[in-house]
Amino acid sequence: MTPLSVRSNVPMVCASCHERLQGPLICGSCGKLQSPEGTDYFALFGLPRKLWVEMGGLEQKFLQLSWKLHPDNFVNASEEDRELSLKRSSELNDAYRTLKDPVARVEYLLAIEGERKEGERKQQAPPELLEEVFELNEWLDELREAKSAGADIAALKTKLRAAEKNFGAKLAEVDAQMQSTAREWDMAVDEGADDATGKKIMTRLNEHLNRRSYIRNLVVSVAKELAEA
Amino acid sequence: MGRTVGIDLGTTNSLVAYIDAQSDQPKCIPGPYGGTLCPSVVSIDPDGTILVGEPARKRLLTQPERTIYSVKRLMGRGVDDIQDELKLFPFRVSEVSGNTIRVQLGEKSFTAPEISSFILRELKNWAEAHFGETVDRAVITVPAYFNDAQRQATKDAGKLAGLEVLRLVNEPTAAALAYGLHEKPAASGGKVAVYDLGGGTFDISVLRLISTDDGDIYQVLSTNGDTHLGGDDIDNLLQAFIHEQILQHDKIDFSPHGEIAQELRKELIALKHSLSEKESATLRFALPNGKTFEFEFTRGMLDALIRPVVDRTMTPVKRALADAQLLPGEIDEVVLVGGTTRTPLIRRTVQEFFGRTPHTELNPDEVVALGAAVQANILDRGVSNMLLLDVTPLSLGIETYGGAVGKIIPRNSPIPASAQEMYTTGVDNQTGIDIHVLQGERELARDCRSLARFTLKVPPAPAGLPRIEVKFLIDANGILQVAAKDVRTGESRLVEVKPSYGLNDAEIERMLEESIEYAEQDFAERQLIEARTEAESILTATQKALAGGQVDAIPADERAKIEASVGALKEATTGQDYKLIRKRIDELNQATMHLAELVMNTAISTALKGKSVGEV
Repeated sequence: MTPLSVRSNVPMVCASCHERLQGPLICGSCGKLQSPEGTDYFALFGLPRKLWVEMGGLEQKFLQLSWKLHPDNFVNASEEDRELSLKRSSELNDAYRTLKDPVARVEYLLAIEGERKEGERKQQAPPELLEEVFELNEWLDELREAKSAGADIAALKTKLRAAEKNFGAKLAEVDAQMQSTAREWDMAVDEGADDATGKKIMTRLNEHLNRRSYIRNLVVSVAKELAEA
Repeated sequence: MGRTVGIDLGTTNSLVAYIDAQSDQPKCIPGPYGGTLCPSVVSIDPDGTILVGEPARKRLLTQPERTIYSVKRLMGRGVDDIQDELKLFPFRVSEVSGNTIRVQLGEKSFTAPEISSFILRELKNWAEAHFGETVDRAVITVPAYFNDAQRQATKDAGKLAGLEVLRLVNEPTAAALAYGLHEKPAASGGKVAVYDLGGGTFDISVLRLISTDDGDIYQVLSTNGDTHLGGDDIDNLLQAFIHEQILQHDKIDFSPHGEIAQELRKELIALKHSLSEKESATLRFALPNGKTFEFEFTRGMLDALIRPVVDRTMTPVKRALADAQLLPGEIDEVVLVGGTTRTPLIRRTVQEFFGRTPHTELNPDEVVALGAAVQANILDRGVSNMLLLDVTPLSLGIETYGGAVGKIIPRNSPIPASAQEMYTTGVDNQTGIDIHVLQGERELARDCRSLARFTLKVPPAPAGLPRIEVKFLIDANGILQVAAKDVRTGESRLVEVKPSYGLNDAEIERMLEESIEYAEQDFAERQLIEARTEAESILTATQKALAGGQVDAIPADERAKIEASVGALKEATTGQDYKLIRKRIDELNQATMHLAELVMNTAISTALKGKSVGEV
């Protein structure tokens, strides 16, 4: 089994001058754009697959790479290089967008580790929340009915505001749990833990993500109903 | 290869600019009428001659059926989109093929990109006359909030005008570039808000200026706007108000499109401009019944009237700030762009909102074109010490089950941006997968802008077996490209995306062919005409001087030389070689230098005669 710490697929030599590469995007010695297949976002920024990312450093690297890859620099270049620049710079922008966002970062890590499948975003209610969610949905129905009947909605609004606050607190709770599990993952990477350990942590991260996305949807829909009420 | 310029293709006016090599500063190129603004008006003569700019504007009143303004409002738009425009603007939509609108101008009909291409070609001519060289590449600016179809239409217009469009740059971003060059950003990381209210569109962009070892980076954090909000709306409000007044007082009701209404609109625009300087102004207008309608406008009345338009701009401003995660007080600099921002109420509102005095040092009409020239220069040279990182204004999505939209690239993502989606089949031996691409922030497909619909071809196979990866890519111009890859076979292909709005490749090809028919004389021909005109005027002047008294003071051999040069120039003008004519003009200028001096001295002494030394 490959230890977690060395998982990365940076190509080693430039396709054009065959010098050793320092990064996956552009050759430091001849300036030729590289076209490696399947470079992941972490590798693109020269980062290990860890979940704590220092924002200042990430941004600096982003700007540095933008200077080199942006299509503006390739207006007079060959068709092939123009295409490559478009491809590489769009990947760079997508990578930056993903790694900047702590939740998207976790989702992405799980996706490249094969621990999160497509369409997994549609989940069921976490069992321990079922009762509260049921109650909330009832209130939302009542609110819609009351609104269309022109009835007084003040009491319902108060209840919904309380529910919004309650679920908001739960969201913060999930975020805290996710952060702590993310730290566990980073430690496992640093220690070169085995695959099984990594898998266990990722399973938990996946649960956090599902729970988070479920609660977040609730908070958003309550906020929306309240805003319209 | 010819020169590269920056072009601001505006709703009301268009401009062309370049970087002056000596001062290294951007400059707008004046046209034959002296000013740098080319009114975005096109008029077609019965013989097919195309008039653009000032001469076309003069025909708005006399030949409205052959003349069009504000064509930018039609760019990239479908029939359903423009119903509101038709109420306010006298567009004569003649026919509709698919979703392409054609506008009738005299005997012929044209698409919006074609009409815009006439304006671009005119600006190209201005630049070519200025440089004495061909111009074949350009950076063209677009409102930041333009969608894919509107951008594509602008790019098509460039192509039809014989220009390679190196880049479409967002107008507020271009303005920031011009200001950045004008005034070096003081602190790295400074946040700039650009408030751009033009004739027909409103944009707000929030940028961060970063100084790095490689140079200055202009990073757009967020953008928002309204592609149907501008000075035109203020004029419409004014016009509606005055129409109502005239109806009440004089019982005259004229249609908003009539000739007299256009004349009144012109008066009202002049009145609006004068109220930017003065506290009150009086409208005097000759009515068809012979009476004169008089109305005194104060700035307070104007402010009250246009307040709704100004308020409408503030919603996008707040959204842009929220997307950039900034508060108004966190903005370090505010820049005003677009002629409409001369309105005092707008200046005051923006100043109050951000709590700081906005920048107005650069001419708000020219600043976008100047920025386009800066970007044109950067792209022309390939590498520079300035880099522009822009964003896509609208979210990109695909239609999912039940008419909902799945967002795949969120708004304000840095461009180029891309997203991959995996597709498979639902039934055995299904041969196609339908994909509908949309742009916008709403949740339902029917509320978003349809960009394209296409069918992915799939080889027959059991359901769920084919795996097609579709890559959506928004390029640096904000224009969508789609590519599909069969994951099982590894076969890649570019998907031909038939745009929901706008022109397809075949239509552009046909228009390109037609455009040769409309094209004005080519560069050499125009040079020839200009050289001949100049030769004519110098010949006339020389003849006049030779007939005057001063010629007696000139030695005979010099006079013979002048006469020889006159003969040589006259002969050159009968030929086709404009370079030869220029050479002969120079020679004649040389030969007549002495004579010209004598003429000049006489003129001055005549002018000064009778004046005391103190007056001089």
